[in-house]
Amino acid sequence: MAPLAGVEAATDAVAAVPAAPMSYWRTVGWRLGRDRTTLAAGGGLLVIVLAALLAPWLAPYDPSAGSIRLRLAWPGTPGHWLGTDEQGRDMLSRLLWGGRMTLVAGLTPVLVAFVVGSALGIAAGFVGRTTSTLIMRTMDIFYAFPSVLLAIAISGALGPGLANTLISLSIVFIPRVVRVAESATVQVKGLEYIAAARVSGAGMGAIVRHHLLANVLGPILVFASTQVSLSIILAAGLSFLGLGVTPPAAEWGLMLNTLRQSIYVNALVPALPGLAIFATSMAFNLLSDGLRDAMEIRG
Amino acid sequence: MWVYVGRRLLLAIPTLLGASVIVFAMVHLAPGDPIAAVMPAESSAAEIEATKRAYGFDRPLPVQYLVWLQRVAQGDLGRSIATRRPVILDVRDALANSLVLALSSSLLAFVVGIALGLLSAFRQGRLLDKLCAALAVIGVSVPHYWAGIILIIVFSVQLNWLPAMGAADDPGLLPFLRHIALPTVALALIPLGVITRVVRSAALDILNQEFVTALRAKGLAARRVFVHVLKNSAPQILTVLGLQFGFQLGGSVLVESVFSWPGTGYLLNLAIFQRDIPVLQGVILVLATFFVLLNLAVDLLQTLIDPRIARH
Amino acid sequence: MRALARLLLALILPLTLVAPALAQGTLRIGMTASDIPYTGGQSDNGFEGFRFVGYQIYEPLIQWDLSRADRLAALVPGLAESWEVRKDAPTKWVFKLRKGVTFHDGSPFNADAVVFTFESIKKKDAPHFDPYGSGQVGFRLASLVGVSKIDDYTVEFETNKPTSFVPYQICYMVIVSPTQWQKFKDWRKFAEQPSGTGPFKVTRFVPRERLELEANKTYWDAKRRPKIDKLVLLPMPEPTTRLAALRSGQVDWVEVPPPDSIPQLKAAGFTITRNSYPHNWTHTLRLDKEPWSNKLVRKAANYAIDRVGICKNLLNDTCIPATGVVYKGHPWFGKPKEIYEYNPNKAKDLLRQAGFDASKHPAKAVHLISTSGSGQMLPLAMNELIQKNLKDVGIDVDLQPVEWNTLLTRWRAGFKTPENEGLNAWNISWNFLEPWSGFGRFFHSKSVVPVAVNTMPYINPEADKLIDEAERTFDIGKQNEILAHVHELVVDDAPWIFVVHDQNPRALAPKVKGFVQPQSWFVDLTSVTVR
Repeated sequence: MAPLAGVEAATDAVAAVPAAPMSYWRTVGWRLGRDRTTLAAGGGLLVIVLAALLAPWLAPYDPSAGSIRLRLAWPGTPGHWLGTDEQGRDMLSRLLWGGRMTLVAGLTPVLVAFVVGSALGIAAGFVGRTTSTLIMRTMDIFYAFPSVLLAIAISGALGPGLANTLISLSIVFIPRVVRVAESATVQVKGLEYIAAARVSGAGMGAIVRHHLLANVLGPILVFASTQVSLSIILAAGLSFLGLGVTPPAAEWGLMLNTLRQSIYVNALVPALPGLAIFATSMAFNLLSDGLRDAMEIRG
Repeated sequence: MWVYVGRRLLLAIPTLLGASVIVFAMVHLAPGDPIAAVMPAESSAAEIEATKRAYGFDRPLPVQYLVWLQRVAQGDLGRSIATRRPVILDVRDALANSLVLALSSSLLAFVVGIALGLLSAFRQGRLLDKLCAALAVIGVSVPHYWAGIILIIVFSVQLNWLPAMGAADDPGLLPFLRHIALPTVALALIPLGVITRVVRSAALDILNQEFVTALRAKGLAARRVFVHVLKNSAPQILTVLGLQFGFQLGGSVLVESVFSWPGTGYLLNLAIFQRDIPVLQGVILVLATFFVLLNLAVDLLQTLIDPRIARH
Repeated sequence: MRALARLLLALILPLTLVAPALAQGTLRIGMTASDIPYTGGQSDNGFEGFRFVGYQIYEPLIQWDLSRADRLAALVPGLAESWEVRKDAPTKWVFKLRKGVTFHDGSPFNADAVVFTFESIKKKDAPHFDPYGSGQVGFRLASLVGVSKIDDYTVEFETNKPTSFVPYQICYMVIVSPTQWQKFKDWRKFAEQPSGTGPFKVTRFVPRERLELEANKTYWDAKRRPKIDKLVLLPMPEPTTRLAALRSGQVDWVEVPPPDSIPQLKAAGFTITRNSYPHNWTHTLRLDKEPWSNKLVRKAANYAIDRVGICKNLLNDTCIPATGVVYKGHPWFGKPKEIYEYNPNKAKDLLRQAGFDASKHPAKAVHLISTSGSGQMLPLAMNELIQKNLKDVGIDVDLQPVEWNTLLTRWRAGFKTPENEGLNAWNISWNFLEPWSGFGRFFHSKSVVPVAVNTMPYINPEADKLIDEAERTFDIGKQNEILAHVHELVVDDAPWIFVVHDQNPRALAPKVKGFVQPQSWFVDLTSVTVR
């Protein structure tokens, strides 16, 4: 969303690294513990993730089972506390199971981007100029596309389906992570104690392990966490357009799409999947905010 | 500084070329025969042969790319399978509509975002700050297509104040405003959130600098502090404004779908279900080009404002 | 840059803040099509294209009488005053054309126009051949092989064999103005400024957005000159968009409102019109590949569908269950050996008999569906339910949605193209306006793609014999009996999953009056008034 803000934050975080990494993380942890909003967000997120994980046990019904005679029941109907959708399927069950799909579609690309992007970005920052330029210019090309557009372009060409969604979203997020990773690596590389370590004869591998990773992964992690909310919204958005998950799968974006036709009959039920996306997004955003605040030195 | 400008301009070229490679590849990514991807099914044999030659489908891929690139450079983006009109015409009309929406939505997001962000920064820690920050987080977390649907339910169906879809059919300022109101709000939500947060963060950075705190403590006029903050946070704010405008132009697909706003997003959506690859390619290429040029402009503008910033 | 110019103008000029009043008598229609149907003559987008564009701008030699709601629409003279097959040459039909009719561009309608139009569809090497239009309508004129001008107002069509189906094929060919075409020598340009003889003429065409037409004040049939001044057609493939547009006053008429909204529309004063018409909504199955190659599996699918649930619960009684090609009570229904009803257990039984088993030999299929479109009703919701019905008995169907016109294009190419090779069925709604549409084009072995649209392909010598006999029979009563036999064969063979017959619900604003919904796919807009 605001990649530059992320880069700024990342570089600030790196600049804040004191000479002794261990106590830094302890400070971060302490700050997080004092931040009530972040704790609440984290708690909420935990609830959402657990609910999704435990869906097979928590869901009262099979998400694809439904009686068409009971369609669009209002929340509060006995037996269907959150109502039923346009095919008569239980909303609570579909929201729980849908959470798994949405979370997978939202988190996986960011995870992939985190791993691949960090590797590429750190390599670009650490290794020689030619490799660096090659990697960064290639990333620039993908950066030329607004995220939604790139996701649609790739999904549109590959076709609908969860796998294609994961591929296209990963491709969207990798360049952003690479940028942050490269920037952070370059900053750290120039710090004095790295030079000191090299002079003292420490091997490349040891330097990377002890100093680079500890100080660079943090900011990258923070940045990645800011992207999760966007990933969830994009994944659901792709399903909303008919490009992501296909029926009858339960996924929040897809549910929003199919329920959209029913807003005039029952305005509340169609709002539920949107609410779920919103709540999850919000929780991730608050959490990542808290993480960033805790990792920076600010008044 | 001009060296920097020159370098950025030069760098934009491979970016654009790279983007064009991706767009070109789309025809071959799609399942099926590439010729089927660009020609209507009932084309005569003569038409198919002519198209094959024009696209160079029988030549090796790199040659095909160059042939395609040459035609694109001359403004020939092919013909839409659905309307048989030149793609460039469809895209031009749609782009105009999307620009209007992006401009209007950006106006809303920028004005409100900057206002809230500054308000937040100057009242840091107080209730107003928390309120604005909360609004910003909500803005960033809301799925805008869902917000659009809710807006339609409330303002169009229940209250019947505003139309539910499309661009205005009748000329005049009022119909135009009525039609663009809801899509503008829906599209502005996320950028509004982002801008508020960035402005707040940038302003706070400056406000919390030691000499500023000292000067404020000494009683420096609020106006002068304000102006100082604005001037110094301008580069960052400009960057995010530029990026968000790009997002609204390129990312309007979802909102345009909900409101049937006849812009590039709507065209994109239609083209996907019509499997109209030439239109898909045309829209994406034009938008990507726009985005690259926009980023370039923002970077250059930033350098003009603050020559110290010369990114690598 | 149109929109930008508008924006600038709006900002600079001190415009009135009140929108100018709509021209009195403007009818704005929200269609289910996602784009403006082809205006160059032979319509695309299925019968919705004919309904709002083809038959409004143009006319065929023989047309449908759409003035009555109480009986099936019948064929009456259009641009031809009379026609008959020659007693001495049963493959030749003489048509006497109407005199004094002019095209919108002022040129006269005569035999040359008829020959020109026919060649634009059938004569591939003619300079005025229209590949697109020909693709849309060519297969509907399968029996017609040639036409010749006898004099300025008489033409003679030649068929490939004696057939009583000729009038039914002629009604799909609308006549275009050769003079206008010669101005451009290009069908695309002609489509932007079309010229026909119909009651409406095009004034403004914005691709993908709107088509504006005005009444043809010099229309030849004085009794049917339009009572409205202006007609505006808007593509709105989403049901909720159509509903929102209707309720907020952006349009005056929508096709297929979301069935759920019908009670509240009625309560708010809108008019809901409905009528039976020759429509069925099916999954047309591919018969040369598993699983649908097995007749027992096809029967199983037909027993698995909860048609009553679809009609009553999903679609609010805007359709009736279908157990065959035509509905019970139609002269072609006959006495089929079995009536398909919702019986999942029987379905499971049949599937087991056929040798399919969920773990060892699962029944799987990929079906191409549309997202909207003419006669397709609410395809996504209906198909989700059907998918579930089939899953419950052990048949796994994967749905692939595409845009309506795209679906039609792929269908006409048949299953055996690389793009369609992985498919097992298409979900397309059909019409049975006449024997050719109902049976001839699907169930005769000579209709196999690309001649016509027997895509399955359904090869049954007995059906061939009966259809040929029906074609030779000029007596309607006897013809009906023969077709009823064909129907019985088809129901038994179950080459389709029969689902429902639609009733084409429409919602009209209170100010729209004078509309009669006929028992037909098409409508007559000339009697409509808008206060």
